[in-house]
Amino acid sequence: MRYWWTRPLVRLLAALGLPVAVPGIIAALIFALPGDPAEIICPPEMCAGTADLAERWNLDGGPWQFYTGWVSSALRGDFGSSWRVLQGEPVSNLLAEAVPTTVVLLLAGMLPVAIAAIAGASGRVPRRIVPAFAAFGLVPAVVLALLGAAAVELRFGADSFDVTGTRVRILVGALVLGLADGAFSDTLSGVGALFSGERKQRYVQVAQLRGERPLSNMLPNLTPALVGQLRARALQLVSGTVVVEVVLRINGVGDLLWNGTLLQDFGVVIAAATTYAVLSAVLLAVQAVVEIVVALWVRRAPAAVRLEGAA
Amino acid sequence: MTRWLPALVAVAVFTALVVLGSMAPEHLAEPNLELGLKSWLQSPPLGTDTRGRPLLEYAMQGARVVVFPAFTAGIAVAIASVIGGLLRCVGDARVDGAVAAFGELVGALPRMVVILVVAILIPGTERSLLPLALTWAVLCSPGAMDEAAAVAERLGGARFVEALRAHGFSWNRIFLYHIVALNLRPVVVRQACETITQVTFLELALSYLSVQQNQSSFTHADDLRSWADLLKLGYPSLVIPEVGTGHALAAGLFLVGMVVLSARLGTYAARAR
Repeated sequence: MRYWWTRPLVRLLAALGLPVAVPGIIAALIFALPGDPAEIICPPEMCAGTADLAERWNLDGGPWQFYTGWVSSALRGDFGSSWRVLQGEPVSNLLAEAVPTTVVLLLAGMLPVAIAAIAGASGRVPRRIVPAFAAFGLVPAVVLALLGAAAVELRFGADSFDVTGTRVRILVGALVLGLADGAFSDTLSGVGALFSGERKQRYVQVAQLRGERPLSNMLPNLTPALVGQLRARALQLVSGTVVVEVVLRINGVGDLLWNGTLLQDFGVVIAAATTYAVLSAVLLAVQAVVEIVVALWVRRAPAAVRLEGAA
Repeated sequence: MTRWLPALVAVAVFTALVVLGSMAPEHLAEPNLELGLKSWLQSPPLGTDTRGRPLLEYAMQGARVVVFPAFTAGIAVAIASVIGGLLRCVGDARVDGAVAAFGELVGALPRMVVILVVAILIPGTERSLLPLALTWAVLCSPGAMDEAAAVAERLGGARFVEALRAHGFSWNRIFLYHIVALNLRPVVVRQACETITQVTFLELALSYLSVQQNQSSFTHADDLRSWADLLKLGYPSLVIPEVGTGHALAAGLFLVGMVVLSARLGTYAARAR
């Protein structure tokens, strides 16, 4: 890259484009499927008046009209209604229930990842343990979620869907997200490799000789790479919520998206997928902002240095 | 020897899965309730299900569902990885920029969401893992290309190519042997093996989520069974051990373990010297 700002700029543009592009693609797909989209809501063999239905659900004017109508409504907080999952129910109600659960699940799932990042950065994890973590990281989320679901059912039985049971399910789900598919082990080894490589740099060794702490010297240089790694992990967790929520029966956006997909409920799918796109866009934007701040920070002249030509 | 042994085991295990898949019956055997829930010792090699049908048939059909699409996706990612590495060796800033932009856009998409959106499009009568596996490969490609490009960058990129040209080597020898075979190989093979494992896990997850809700899977026709059916069959034994389906769970995990073992050994065999 010729300019330092090219990558952050591309990320910011991608972050802006994602929440707009995802509903656009899904809207195009709805109309690309064979048959009339209104027939998905109500097959002609089951009910009459498909044309009226199409008009009511804004499906009578083609993909562009549907897309622009959906986006303008979504900007006002109206995500349309469910086609099949809970027919007629406003999707905003479903999302209002699901989004907080998924966000809590994700934040809790990031805890093991954060612990792995700190452990990797400190370089104090015994080398013998790393292969054990790596082996554990090979377990897929679906298998670990199954074991977790069994443990919850064994412990709580019929009460596993009350308040305490639900909280435990979310906690187990967060553990599964944070440990399965290499989320913990890859962060441990990735961040560890990043910091151990940097510790060998001469400027860090000179800083140590001057009595400075290596971490404060390394962080400005490593932050962009570190944030990139953590964003990749966070995105992996976002993706993993679908499996974890369905297996552990957690009422989150992933569960909603899965049910929408199974029943071809595009009203739910478009809203849930856009929610995921927004989550992903936020992660991208955070990475871009951190990169910009770090780049400006490392390029600034130290306070005691007078720049040539400056007054 | 330290490379050949893991490579041979990896190939042998993968070949066993291919053979298993190619011998899969079109339909499961007729139920025989007298043979229901036999363990692998009573009805070798894997035991039977609740209706007395051999779990080996589940294993074979599952291998048929997963092996070819997973392998194809692995090859696709390997090719993308090679292209990423070679493009970096060309040393064109615009090409690098275009690849980076592609990577940012595709890499920012939550993979499972994209897979589910693609899954809706597949007609119910033509359900197969292959389109989903190829979509997964496209989603994996930016990371693979980026990693291969980083290796090519450390190698010297365009300057490395110029240096070898100065020695009089042909383009084929430079690109295919020195760059791909000698330097990109560990990354390319690892990315391909990881993709094979991930596609297997993806099939397992999609099929399990479907069978859990008594719905058709997005990855195969209704008359086929996947390894997820073994997990579904074995799950109750985790909660109530008296159910006696633990052998099905063990069989499912064993088969998934075979794929993971093959992929890990393949990666190990192709590692850098």
